[in-house]
Amino acid sequence: MDCQPTSTGSLPKPPQPPDGRRVPVVLMLAALATGAVAQPLPLAPDKAFRFDARALSPQSIEARFSIVDGYYLYRDRIHFSVEPVSVPATVSALPPGKTKDDPFFGKVETYRGQVIVNIALKGTVPGQKVIVVAESQGCADVGICYPVQMQRVTVSLPAANVAPTRPDATPRKLWFE
Amino acid sequence: MNRRELLAAGFAAGLGALCVGIYAGTQRAKPIDSTALFALSLPNEAGKLQSLGQWRGKVLVVNFWATWCAPCREEMPEFIRAQSRYGPQGLQFVGIAVDDADKVERFAKELGLNYPALIGGYGAVELSKTLGNRLAALPFTIVLDRQGSIFLTQLGPIKPNQLQSIIDKLM
Repeated sequence: MDCQPTSTGSLPKPPQPPDGRRVPVVLMLAALATGAVAQPLPLAPDKAFRFDARALSPQSIEARFSIVDGYYLYRDRIHFSVEPVSVPATVSALPPGKTKDDPFFGKVETYRGQVIVNIALKGTVPGQKVIVVAESQGCADVGICYPVQMQRVTVSLPAANVAPTRPDATPRKLWFE
Repeated sequence: MNRRELLAAGFAAGLGALCVGIYAGTQRAKPIDSTALFALSLPNEAGKLQSLGQWRGKVLVVNFWATWCAPCREEMPEFIRAQSRYGPQGLQFVGIAVDDADKVERFAKELGLNYPALIGGYGAVELSKTLGNRLAALPFTIVLDRQGSIFLTQLGPIKPNQLQSIIDKLM
């Protein structure tokens, strides 16, 4: 059976029959009796931690994680690399995250929202394609954690004096999709 | 409230109970075969292979977890308490760690783990997918009754009151 989730922490609004019978009270009592506030289904990790990359110039790439509300990434589990490996790439330092005390691992830093780094390339030519590989590991506030994820985005480096190209990854979904 | 409304409330309560923990037991597209689970052998922390079949006949709680999964670690003390209390009556927890053996050993010692911690390694996540863990996330728990049938699969922590409810039903 598929159950439609309701928003966490609120009771479902009962239907109001036109003749005002007491069915709404019945549904509210049932909801109270069971604590039937269903949890939303967790997102697949590539949706929760969406990765994107775009060329800023022929020798510079911006890599970005867009993290959905209710999810977070561990700073020390994020790593970037560029393929082919023959392309020298320098990744800027990760910004500081929010520190919390983990009983087992000690102080850990996490990210929510957006994480952006710049990757400087050497020896690339205009029109060349490189692949940015992002490794990450994160969790959801509802109490689950995902194993390490690898995401790859192909970036076309622009010709000199050309505006940065859109990423070659899956087009950004509109909010209503 | 009249009898009709009471019956409607009962029906709605049952429906609501099914909706609670919406991703409990609803992930699998096809029934999971417990035979494959009982045929599984994995090394323990000492490197000795352990077959899950040795626990057939128990109320078996197979819990996929990892030290890098904080919610996994947080639910384990309750598992330890339940193992201690109900183990003599036939409750058996088995942890399958998606992790390195040395980290598992260190954590198990710190926690005073009183049930087997089998080392599944990072490939154990793929194994859990075949058992219904479609998101391949942790913690993921499978509960089997004494007859070896799967009673529950759940992604996410099992809260103490839910665990007690499971124990009350199956023990």
